[in-house]
Amino acid sequence: MVDGEGIITNDDNLTTDINHPYREKTDKRILKKNPWKDYGLHLTVLVLSIIAMSIGPIEIVLVKGVEVSIMPLLYTMVLGLIFYLAKPIKWIQRKQARIAEGAMMLFIGVLIAKLAVSSGQSIHLLLEMGPALMLQELGHLATILIALPTALLLGFKREAIGMTNSIGREPEVAVVVDRYGFNSPESRGIFALFIVGTIIGTVFISFLTSISVSVLPLHPFAFAMASGVGSASMNAASLGPTLAAFPHLETQIEAFAGFSNLLSFSIGIYIVIFIALPLTEKLYYWLEPKIGRDAIIDEGDE
Amino acid sequence: MVEIIDNSGNVTVHGVFNWILLLTIFSIITVIGNYIGYKHPMTDSLIGIGILSLITLAGVWMERYLPLNISSILYISVIGIALAFPGMPTSEFVSYYVSKIELLSIVTVFLAYVGIGMGKSWNEFKALGPRAVIITMLVIASTYFGAAIVAHIVLVMTGVPV
Repeated sequence: MVDGEGIITNDDNLTTDINHPYREKTDKRILKKNPWKDYGLHLTVLVLSIIAMSIGPIEIVLVKGVEVSIMPLLYTMVLGLIFYLAKPIKWIQRKQARIAEGAMMLFIGVLIAKLAVSSGQSIHLLLEMGPALMLQELGHLATILIALPTALLLGFKREAIGMTNSIGREPEVAVVVDRYGFNSPESRGIFALFIVGTIIGTVFISFLTSISVSVLPLHPFAFAMASGVGSASMNAASLGPTLAAFPHLETQIEAFAGFSNLLSFSIGIYIVIFIALPLTEKLYYWLEPKIGRDAIIDEGDE
Repeated sequence: MVEIIDNSGNVTVHGVFNWILLLTIFSIITVIGNYIGYKHPMTDSLIGIGILSLITLAGVWMERYLPLNISSILYISVIGIALAFPGMPTSEFVSYYVSKIELLSIVTVFLAYVGIGMGKSWNEFKALGPRAVIITMLVIASTYFGAAIVAHIVLVMTGVPV
């Protein structure tokens, strides 16, 4: 496997004043390789998207009141991965994967733009909703205190910084990749969190919420805001059991959940940039020599 | 024509050209998916994603050509919020057309590229294995409870009735 760029990026990460290494790499791919010419790749994405949207969300009732919904976005991601891994599909290879990687860095901008427009539209309501909505964003930092030490005990090294700084959805992935570079251990960590979270997150948060609302004596709006911590599909999955538990507060719960999700995606990324990541790094370098185990991944192995 | 520019080393024009073409491909795929999944009229959603693509283009351009060391994510966020801010002359137009493009339609197409791009790292993911699953569940649970508990405390302290 010849991958010169990967080796270069690993070296870049060792220096302290890295200047967006992913950007140069993405530029190299997007600017010099005419990525739009790869019709096979884009047609494949089109077909996957048509298939996924035609099927639509599938809802499975596990137990009474516990519904698991599988969203079209899971189909396209998993199918994309399968297309790459499947040997008979010759038009999706390593080259296409590299183009897709570069293109993804541009397309995340469209996603962020969509969220920014929603935030701008409803900014007055955000202020009316009071301080609880803003402050609960800081509650997300609990993951660093609980998950980071556990990750170190399980033998993770710098992957742990990417894995435990936040819930690791699209905007946080973008922030971590931007900061550490695509092939860094930190990015590998958040990619692992992202892919595992995308596959099990929706199911898991649905279970977690249904148990929590019946066991914990918290304010109904608190559950509503907490449902928005992750992705849109996780939000929907968490909202189901919350609405079922407090049927008389339906409208308010939906409003709070929506804004919380919006906040997670908009203001949440600035909390990740300015608070969560620096805090995770500090805690990592303080705890790692104390409780770190032998690395489970060879860091030089690209 | 593109080949000539490619050899000339003039990446500026070439880069913007590639960005526009890629965003156009992405927009077309998203609008088709958006139509199938949500039945929004195609012309409206095309204008919607056109606006989002222009914001993205402005953001990535500013990241590379303005002297400040700021991520394109921040530029794109600021432009998006400003355009939709109530009272801005662009607010109604931008809000209406962008609402015709569902977030989940964008994410569905975006994740197809992510899935293909990740194929490259599949073996590493397998190596992370069950430990990654444990950490992921712990991260989701502690983020959820962290948010719920802080929200509960603030709601009770500010006297929001149940």
